[in-house]
Amino acid sequence: MSRTTSLVLWLAALGTTIAFGLLVDDDHLITLAIQTLILGALAMSWNILGGFAGQVSLGHAAFFGLGALITRDLWLGGRPLILAVVIALSVTAVAAAVVGVPMLRFRGIYFSVGTLALGVAVWLTAGNLWPGITSLPAEDLRSYEFTGRYFVALGVLAVTVIVSMWLVRSKLGLGMMAVREDEEAAGATGVSPFTHKMLAFVISAVLAALAGSVFGYFSASYYPQFPFSVVWTFEAITVVFVGGVGTIVGPLIGSLFFVVGRDLLNSTFPELQVVVFGVLFILVVLVLPGGFVEGGQKIFRLVSRRTANQPGKDADRESEHREGKERI
Amino acid sequence: MKTRKLWVLLAVIALIVAACSSSDSDDTTTTAGSCGTETTTTTDTGSSETTTTAGGGDMTAPDAIYLGAVVPQTGPFAGGGAQVVRGYTYCIDIVNEAGGVYVAEYDTNLPLEMILRDDESDPNKTTAAMEELAGQDITVYLGGFASPVHAAGTAVAEKNQIPYLGVATALQALHEQGYQYYFSPFPKSPDIATSVFEMLNASIPEGERPTRVGIFAEATDWGEELGALWEEAAPQYGYEVVLHETYAPGTEDFTDIILKAQAADVEALLSLPTPPDGFNIYKQMGELGWKPPFSLVVRAADVPTWNDLGDVGDGVVLSAGWHPGLGYPGIDAINQRHIEEEGRPADPIVGSSCSLIQIVADAIERAGTLDHQAVRDALAATDMMTVAGPVVFRDDGTAPIDNPLSQRQGGTIVLVWPQVEGAGELLYPAN
Repeated sequence: MSRTTSLVLWLAALGTTIAFGLLVDDDHLITLAIQTLILGALAMSWNILGGFAGQVSLGHAAFFGLGALITRDLWLGGRPLILAVVIALSVTAVAAAVVGVPMLRFRGIYFSVGTLALGVAVWLTAGNLWPGITSLPAEDLRSYEFTGRYFVALGVLAVTVIVSMWLVRSKLGLGMMAVREDEEAAGATGVSPFTHKMLAFVISAVLAALAGSVFGYFSASYYPQFPFSVVWTFEAITVVFVGGVGTIVGPLIGSLFFVVGRDLLNSTFPELQVVVFGVLFILVVLVLPGGFVEGGQKIFRLVSRRTANQPGKDADRESEHREGKERI
Repeated sequence: MKTRKLWVLLAVIALIVAACSSSDSDDTTTTAGSCGTETTTTTDTGSSETTTTAGGGDMTAPDAIYLGAVVPQTGPFAGGGAQVVRGYTYCIDIVNEAGGVYVAEYDTNLPLEMILRDDESDPNKTTAAMEELAGQDITVYLGGFASPVHAAGTAVAEKNQIPYLGVATALQALHEQGYQYYFSPFPKSPDIATSVFEMLNASIPEGERPTRVGIFAEATDWGEELGALWEEAAPQYGYEVVLHETYAPGTEDFTDIILKAQAADVEALLSLPTPPDGFNIYKQMGELGWKPPFSLVVRAADVPTWNDLGDVGDGVVLSAGWHPGLGYPGIDAINQRHIEEEGRPADPIVGSSCSLIQIVADAIERAGTLDHQAVRDALAATDMMTVAGPVVFRDDGTAPIDNPLSQRQGGTIVLVWPQVEGAGELLYPAN
């Protein structure tokens, strides 16, 4: 796909989501959309660590929860939302750096198990420390405004997309991918595996906290333990795999598929939703290990090949070839 | 290839955990193994009717008045949730058999229809289910079982400005939030905190009373609230709190606090566990060979499986909010149906939840419309007799209502307080 086509598609997606927020007046649909955006942002953040740097963290919800907890607490305590978010992200960055030092000494499955243990420990501790529910004040609930929250969530997702795009094109991102492919080889070429993994860990944690901040801002009520639940980690992983691990579009498609699919199944085949969703998911993973993105690419290539075989397309092929050269 | 298999395995585990994170631990009845949301509709639907309004426009009546119920049918609260659903179902059937609810706006009677969702005993799924129901033309929300799910649900109702009615929750703090759409004709913590001491003083001669009180409180907002109120009330009635222990819900080993209670020579054990903690506490008390002369379990002892505990569970007093022995109009009908279908008198929460349907039907009829604000205002002005007694709501959504105490006596739940006609005697000491 050419850079121009890609840009047009991104702008179209952005325009559609903005128009959705401005035109749709159905609270249920907006709620679903916000859930999609939050999960999308969380999945994008996990994708940086798991997809780009190849470190499969199973404790990602700890940072999502930290973002939600601090933001909600400060914001409901009367601080401006922006300040609350900035403090939440700063604390998360420090926490991730501190935790990252011992965790990133583990490799492969040991790193996954280590982060899972950390995530579960934080989850249980949060339940013990904050047993009471957190709800928005009654006045705020009655004047709850969906559209503003939708655009906040959209903005946060846009931030995660921009950071991911920057990483893909930057030296830092390439270093992360080199570490993902082969740590020793990366080290031999002057790329510090630990530094790159640590940066991926911290960036990923901060973006997860950002998604958590939106959750804390959006939710009418929840138990503070909830955003720390491992379920968030596994949902993010599911979304990334369904969409396409290591890609930018993948987590976005995955989150839309996951949230909308879950809602549709809940209201149409409630008794069968787990089975239907499970079979569908296994099929996607087995048939398209690269997720929907890989499926899309296959279809795109097939269509391109057929189109290219038609007479009169030589000029187009030449144009694509030129654009490809420019990109490289 | 190995990596690919690992990814697939991880992804499948992820899906299963995400889907079933908090379900499938049903310790009592119903839908074992399901970790999804279940939908059930009750009663027949009526036919649509068209009415001409005062302004001359045609208004098509809906097929039914939809009541959005989010109730735990799986997970730890499933046993209580089953009682709630039975109560709703019984009273919906009674209302519909009597012709439904007259709605002046449409100049016709409409049947009640419940749209039921299972929140799997997870408060976070309660909110998700309620958001989904908000898009289904419901007139009111009906709550589930246990304070955590109500605490989550009431805020969503307030946000969506749809009236919410709930029983099986004693959390007073929820009524201090300034909510306008939450109504709960059910005994609250302040009522429970004093009624146990009032009953003890009325039932046991001075000098024989169990004055050394121990409290087992779960580390939840309700546990903190009621634990503190018991501490405050005890000295006023001549009792001394010698032990106050807290534990996290879901704790499996209670040995430590049981041994502490034994060492402190606790004579009256007051606890408020939700399932399955209550069952586990008493099971382990039995294993450790300790049973105080008096014990109160606010909830948890109201499910039939409590009988499986044997001797250690017998004699336990519960404050479940309702008892068929209260003798209010309409109790006989639901009690009879319960005996026919379940083989025992109506469970405690059945009556309380049934009363909500009576209240909703009355409010809609008075409102003459299904408009949320109008129904909310009509609910606030409720003044009627129900199977749970007379109901008049206070400004905070609570209602002064009976707080009956019952006792497990040989496998039967016997009403022991208040001492109305037909009530039994408190068996003391229970050990």
